[in-house]
Amino acid sequence: MTSQPKKEDLLKAYRIMKEIREFEERIHIEFATGKLPGFVHLYSGEEAVATAVCMHLTDEDRISSTHRGHGHCIAKGVDIHGMMAEIYGKKTGTCGGKGGSMHIADLEKGMMGANGIVGAGPPLICGAALAAKLKGTGGVGVAFFGDGASNQGTILESLNLASIWKLPVIFLNENNGYAESTGVSYNVPTPNIADRAAGFGMPGVTVDGNDYFAVYEAAGEAIARARRGEGPTLLECKTQRFFGHFEGDAMTYRPTGEVQNLRQTKDCLKIFASKVISAGLITAAELEAIDKEVLALIEDSVAKAQAAPNPTAADLLTGVYVSY
Amino acid sequence: MNNRNKDNPIVGIIANPASGRDVRRLVAQASIFPTVEKSNMIQRILSSLGCVGVREVVMMPDTGGITARIRHAQETGKSHFARNWPTVHFLNMPIDDSEIDTICAVEQMVKLGVAAIIVMGGDGTHRVVAKVCGKTPLVALSTGTNNTFPEIREATVAGLAAGLVATNKVRAEEVCLRNKVLHVDLNGAGHEIALVDLCVSSECWIGTRALWQPNCLKELFVTFASASSIGLSAIAGYLHPVNRWAAYGLRILLAPPGEGMFTVSVPIAPGLIEAVGVVELKEIHPKEICAFETHRGTIAFDGERSIEFNGCDRPRVWLEMEGPVTIDIDKTMLKSAEDHLFVHHDDRGHSYNRNKKGVPMRT
Repeated sequence: MTSQPKKEDLLKAYRIMKEIREFEERIHIEFATGKLPGFVHLYSGEEAVATAVCMHLTDEDRISSTHRGHGHCIAKGVDIHGMMAEIYGKKTGTCGGKGGSMHIADLEKGMMGANGIVGAGPPLICGAALAAKLKGTGGVGVAFFGDGASNQGTILESLNLASIWKLPVIFLNENNGYAESTGVSYNVPTPNIADRAAGFGMPGVTVDGNDYFAVYEAAGEAIARARRGEGPTLLECKTQRFFGHFEGDAMTYRPTGEVQNLRQTKDCLKIFASKVISAGLITAAELEAIDKEVLALIEDSVAKAQAAPNPTAADLLTGVYVSY
Repeated sequence: MNNRNKDNPIVGIIANPASGRDVRRLVAQASIFPTVEKSNMIQRILSSLGCVGVREVVMMPDTGGITARIRHAQETGKSHFARNWPTVHFLNMPIDDSEIDTICAVEQMVKLGVAAIIVMGGDGTHRVVAKVCGKTPLVALSTGTNNTFPEIREATVAGLAAGLVATNKVRAEEVCLRNKVLHVDLNGAGHEIALVDLCVSSECWIGTRALWQPNCLKELFVTFASASSIGLSAIAGYLHPVNRWAAYGLRILLAPPGEGMFTVSVPIAPGLIEAVGVVELKEIHPKEICAFETHRGTIAFDGERSIEFNGCDRPRVWLEMEGPVTIDIDKTMLKSAEDHLFVHHDDRGHSYNRNKKGVPMRT
């Protein structure tokens, strides 16, 4: 990693984080109107993690996601208009309006899909990483999963398989402190989920997920290591979500004032902005210009999604069977 | 629990559950130090303290499982070894899972008048302890790789040394030493310290905190430098070793390899031997104020990037001789042997004299 970051990369990172934030905050509002079918799980507060990791990736690299997948999708370059339409269940959505929030995918961008099954992503990424290794593409796979998922057998099996086959995988744990409503200190016996890495013979690192630069640095090293053929890494990013597990969650399990305090003290966008402005690399005006553009983009995506047609009866069986 | 009492000295124990998870596990070959082993070390320490007459210990609580195991052993009475332990009290304090916990715990221990504090952690943990421990003697135990200030020692012996000093069986004045410390002031508002080295890096951000890329290293200040150590101070150690008690430190201007006066290859992290360019090396003396030549970057204290600064900041650094007090374990145990503190004379009618070397010989 160079000591002097490029300005365009910093602006790009901020734009992506802002797109994720505004996308989620708008979904929060639209969901309350009752217009969105299905459930949504919002990523607000965790933007630095997906963004910093995906800044190192190309379309050749694969990521798997979770039920809380909007941030991963945007960071990986999935079209925001297509995402919004998909969440609205419209024909112009990334999956034709038939998958919804938890199934947004774009294989062209290397996004293997948000996933409603807890812990289902890492085995998929092991497969993608094995393919990359056998084909010699130099591609890597990043498997995002949460603190609750870290206890799933699928995760442990994936860690083991990736280690013994030396797969180019980064197991990216987003430890936001809650598995639905269960606190991580209750269901994980070690202070850090990265502590488990040693049992699988791979390096385990824990970083502050609210600091874009900490995640960027650590992810960069893990991805470079994977590309060199040195095997997998377990990278734990300690972060937090500003909303409930799902929209409609009353969050009675969180202390009073916790979210408000987090928005004031641990907001990764504010931390990023403060650092880059203090360093004299970017001005507040430049960031404000991005803010306006992003808000306009999100507004446009909502308008287009609302105006888009619904899937028809003829669309019911498309994408279900394979034609030989 | 009673406050400090010559007849009932209290010993404090600080064990950081969070050390050993940084990026050096990825970019170097740093090992991890399991929490279970930290807990085992504490149990060995408690056995030793009990053996030399310490009856009360205070510990920093944690959520990492260290204190839970101690509580379990103490409260269930199932551990054979726990029978001779001192009574362990856990400080009443909120747990933040950050260095705030260490600061809070040490402040409470100092207020209680503990006779010694056993610190288990890396350079970072010891730096935090040093900020608030005053003149309370420390036993500095390393838990991990890449540490220079604390020692890698068998905990049993460290516990004996701490207990001997705490109970005044070995006088602190004979075996304790005052360490040097580097102070940094940023714009006259608050300051930080470093126990071993302070490095100015061109890295813009604190990021993952560790420093492992030689091209980013710009300036290095050290309190002491050993050719046997690992980390940034080894750069100085390989050029001009300075022992812990010398009345000066060093300042070194660095450059990418091949761009200075000469290049030195040093182990800057476990398993990572890198070439570093050296432009200039000179001694610095206590209270001599130094300004940075670099105008933007980060300041790393004992190997951890901690402060980001830019052209508007005016950092100043200086060396002081009045740093934390540490117990020299070797000196303490040697004194205990010379004074036969662990020797019990059997009453079997044998007589003996000491020879010229002081060795007891049967007559």
